[in-house]
Amino acid sequence: MAEEKSLLAVFSDIDPAADAIEQLRLLGVHDDCMNVISGIPVTEAMLGRPSQWTNVPRLALGGAAAGFLVGVFLAFITPNMYTIQVGGQPFTPVPPAVIVMFEMTMLGMLISTFVGVFFDSLFPNYRPMHYVPEISDGKIAILIECPPPDTQKITDVLKKLGAESVKEAEAQHL
Amino acid sequence: MADHKHHTSHEEHLREQHLMLDPMPRGKMNEMVMEAMHTTSWKFWLVFGLLAAIVAYALFYKWGVMILEGLGVAGVNRPSYWGIFLVNTVFWIGISHAGTFISAILRVFKAEFRRPFTRAAELMTTFGLVQAGFSIFMHMGRVWLSYWLMPIPNQRGLWPNFHSPLSWDLLAITTYLLSSTMYLFLPLIPDLAMARDRTPDGTWQKVFYRTLALGFRGTEGEWTHLRNALNIFAFAIIPVMFSVHTIVSWDFAMATRPGWNSTIFGPYFVVGALHSGMGAVVMVLAVVRGTMKNMKYFIRPEHFEAIGKLMLIISMTWGYFFFNDYIVQWYGGDKWTKELLHWHEAGPMGWMWFGMLICNVAIPWAILWNKKWRSTPWLLFIVGMLINVGMWFERYIIVPISLTINRMPFTWRLYQPGIEVWLGIGTLAFFILLYMAASKLIPLIPVWEVQEGQMAHSLKKYGRETVVTVSELE
Amino acid sequence: MTVDLNKLHAVGAIAEAAEGKWGMVIDMDLCTGCQACVAACAMENNIPYVEEEDAGYGRSMHWIRTERFWEGEYPEVKISGYQPMLCQQCGKAPCEPVCPAFATVHSQAEQLNLQVYNRCVGTRYCANNCPYQVRSFNWRDYQDSRVRPEITILANQFNPDVTVRRRGVMEKCTFCIQRIHKAQDKAKSEGREVEDGEFTTACAQACPANAITFGRIDHPESLVSQLARSPRAEHHLEELGTLPRVTYLKEG
Repeated sequence: MAEEKSLLAVFSDIDPAADAIEQLRLLGVHDDCMNVISGIPVTEAMLGRPSQWTNVPRLALGGAAAGFLVGVFLAFITPNMYTIQVGGQPFTPVPPAVIVMFEMTMLGMLISTFVGVFFDSLFPNYRPMHYVPEISDGKIAILIECPPPDTQKITDVLKKLGAESVKEAEAQHL
Repeated sequence: MADHKHHTSHEEHLREQHLMLDPMPRGKMNEMVMEAMHTTSWKFWLVFGLLAAIVAYALFYKWGVMILEGLGVAGVNRPSYWGIFLVNTVFWIGISHAGTFISAILRVFKAEFRRPFTRAAELMTTFGLVQAGFSIFMHMGRVWLSYWLMPIPNQRGLWPNFHSPLSWDLLAITTYLLSSTMYLFLPLIPDLAMARDRTPDGTWQKVFYRTLALGFRGTEGEWTHLRNALNIFAFAIIPVMFSVHTIVSWDFAMATRPGWNSTIFGPYFVVGALHSGMGAVVMVLAVVRGTMKNMKYFIRPEHFEAIGKLMLIISMTWGYFFFNDYIVQWYGGDKWTKELLHWHEAGPMGWMWFGMLICNVAIPWAILWNKKWRSTPWLLFIVGMLINVGMWFERYIIVPISLTINRMPFTWRLYQPGIEVWLGIGTLAFFILLYMAASKLIPLIPVWEVQEGQMAHSLKKYGRETVVTVSELE
Repeated sequence: MTVDLNKLHAVGAIAEAAEGKWGMVIDMDLCTGCQACVAACAMENNIPYVEEEDAGYGRSMHWIRTERFWEGEYPEVKISGYQPMLCQQCGKAPCEPVCPAFATVHSQAEQLNLQVYNRCVGTRYCANNCPYQVRSFNWRDYQDSRVRPEITILANQFNPDVTVRRRGVMEKCTFCIQRIHKAQDKAKSEGREVEDGEFTTACAQACPANAITFGRIDHPESLVSQLARSPRAEHHLEELGTLPRVTYLKEG
């Protein structure tokens, strides 16, 4: 079984990294095989990468809807389960219900946004991953997951473009 | 020669002033933040120990005494059924609003100066809400049965009463507490990853950071999800913030008491919360800058200057709402309200009313207009502290002092605080204690956001003038 | 034009204004301020005494209190009236909607404002919201013999029909609901309705001047209803719209 070697190239600036990605594409590395790991969020557009999709907004909306339903339940259904007369007000008055529904909608939206990040990013992830600690020092790393067999050529090209280091990516515990 | 010096020194001056124009390599900044976390002097431990002792005695022991003996050991009576407990609750929720203002509203408005202290402010939100929670549980007569107020299915077959502002309070404060903790945690993840990377194996700190960092690496996907979530949070938590203190104000506005039944309480309380909150933020930042290593690089006089401007505007807005509330009550002629207003100004606690106006309006207006004074951290610390004192007075006037005057003169009686003083001191000590603990456990400065900001700022020459420009990187 | 309130699905205040069952009339011109009503109520409802320090600090537990009003400066002081103040059992009670635990609710059977002791968690919002300030809070365990050993002996005079409240619980006048229920049970067992004058509250029973009258205000011929129609009649704090069930007669 051929071992899939992954390469990790570390750059310290956006321009060399963007050039490198262009060159890698020309060398035949597909966009799907590349991943950019960076210490600050560098937008995909800056590096010439395809836009990343995310489920978070949709999950947020779904959470808001769920929260809204919980609010409706608390405000309109629970008083009718055991009706108690208070202060001459109707059993399910609308103004207090608005408050309850609003708060529960916001809570639903925000909790599902938070959980959505975990869900989309597959957090928590404690398995060994391809990473080098320099990345959190602000470096931009390009992880090439399915490189063509001639890795020396790629290494030379990347080094010429200004990569600080190009080495075989080891999956290690973070 | 003089000209040449002037040009370079103008640029140098800008760089010295503005953190965003004074970039350092990220690795160096990371190191500085980690160093600030790890450096603890004996003074730190002395204060920490003292605070822990105060918390153990004034908060936990005294609360135990109150639970066993009943609320009789506090100063509440007829007609002041609510006293300092509610004052402290409103006070702490008010302080917690500053965090959200800075990390959410300033983010939405792209105010770049917020970058180094969003986390310091957000920590205040979470810890302030904890103290508010303590204060509200304390004031309950049978706190051991407080779980009856939770809106979950239960075997008693009864749900809480959603006609009651206290039930809305519960929902709103829970929502706010959870949301702001989540909003604190999300941008913290990349910094926890950084701390994880810089902590040697085999220590409990490494386990701590590795667990909390959740395996964050900084891939495109992770950053996209994170930034998307932060945008949603920033926008969504603003209405939550406004609604929380409005709902707290409705505890009073929904009541039939003279002086309480005012429709302006909603926005009045929100602005009051921002007022005391910003005062507290500036106090915390002054202390952090003065006591923690390397913080003088991150937190500069420019930040105090910017916050000072906000404090002045908020102080003016508070004055507007206060006057609005006052003049409508004064003009109306309802005899009970008139009696109450007279009691505020000329009663035995009239000094508090004047003190409130001096601290909330006179002093900020006298000091914060001056740019040089605004940039002085210790001066702003004093102004912030006085604002907080003034705002505490304001809530004391609204709760126990206003409760004294009601429509049954036979029951009028002055409120005298009892054990609430101890418990209030306990919550304050606990707040500071939690903050000190957090400053040593998690990186206080969001370095990735600072670097992001520094990337976006540059100096550009327009004609002969060198000007700061900000690019929109998102 | 007559309006069928039931067809309007009127709830709460509007429906209450049409009904109302138990009511009271207090004649302030007859009241001498003797406080027999206060003592009788305390005996009937197991109300604790709170001792000097707490009483001086406004923590007396009395469900009914006699308010004294005077005019003039010392030494030319004139008493201008005594006002017994108790829970008005409002039709539209401000204390009810604000309790988060549903511990103060409106009874649809007796048309009274109920205080449910075992549901109260002691937030005291109801007491803040009562415009008449007639609610009492148990600031300490006044009835606990471990805290106050003398209770062991005084407990012999407790009314067995009424519970004893612990610290942290709100209480107030109930229009002697235990007497109402006893009378209703007796009447039911005899297959009839409760007659006006068959029983009365402790305060009305004790008043030597007959200043307090209690009865069925939904019966137009009852003594209470007749007195309530007097030209001297007024409701306290009427402008708040609480629809109190207690009518005061004054300035005859």
